[in-house]
Amino acid sequence: MSDEKHDSDFERRTKRAFDDSVTALDAATRSRLTQARYRALAERKAIRAGGWRWALVPAGTLAATALVVWLTVWQTPPAHDAVQSAALGDLEILLGDEDLEMLDEELEFYGWLEEQPEFAGADDSVG
Amino acid sequence: MELALSIARREASLDREEALDSGAEIEAFLREVEARAYRIALVHIRDRGEALDIVQDAMIRLVRRYADRPSAEWPPLFYRILQNRIRDVQRRRIVRSRVLSFFGGTASEEEHDPIAEAPAPIGENPLERAKAADAMQALEQALLELPARQREAFTLRNFEGLDVAQTAIAMSCTEGSVKTHYSRAIHRLREMLADYAEEQ
Repeated sequence: MSDEKHDSDFERRTKRAFDDSVTALDAATRSRLTQARYRALAERKAIRAGGWRWALVPAGTLAATALVVWLTVWQTPPAHDAVQSAALGDLEILLGDEDLEMLDEELEFYGWLEEQPEFAGADDSVG
Repeated sequence: MELALSIARREASLDREEALDSGAEIEAFLREVEARAYRIALVHIRDRGEALDIVQDAMIRLVRRYADRPSAEWPPLFYRILQNRIRDVQRRRIVRSRVLSFFGGTASEEEHDPIAEAPAPIGENPLERAKAADAMQALEQALLELPARQREAFTLRNFEGLDVAQTAIAMSCTEGSVKTHYSRAIHRLREMLADYAEEQ
């Protein structure tokens, strides 16, 4: 019998011994393994729940940034350099982390506010 | 008819997405490997409580870091985490043993062999069960005589059935090293268990 064949028989026997020992695991151990698995899966659920919340922050931040850029750059009437540099200064301030967080939270409110007819009317009456 | 088929396909797709989203696939993977992972950890660590902790930790780490990776990558990643945790525990034991010996105690004073102390498993055929348990006990004793890397290669390749490439990932080494460690482990184990094998 070649060594290779001998090894192969030996490998089969060791694998069988191991598989038998896994099959013979007692109920208490299996129960603890099940609990361990549930803990791991609970962690996944917690991460995914947290992940969705955190995914909203960059999305909101991006929307807020786009709005700020649009309002400060494109809605600013053409003017001299001093005004433009002030607008850029405002942009820099608005793009600070704290301001973006605030905008993210309040964006929905400002959107709602803009849609209210009384405020729209007030804007029209001005000037 | 086409509309009905389209709706059915869409629903099947949503069911699949929901299953993936709820972690059904990774749960199935963990259920499949948990018992074998525990036995492998027990072979290396020989302490039931610590082996369970290691498996739980490996499952949590896999879920936390790699749940979104393709499922084909899970086995080597999971066993890599498992092996790292096993090594951590072994290192901790070595340090503890040295500290104890420095202060005049011996590590063996507080160590015990839970496998040797454990009652024999109860089965439908006690004689067969006893033989199987004896065989595994002899194998485990022999495995403890091997260098750690050979033991790792053997448990991953033979017990868990990982291929050479997967074992290399799990052991953080080259495929050539895996082949060398495994081959040496097989030959050494054959030598050590020769008497036992002849008795069977």
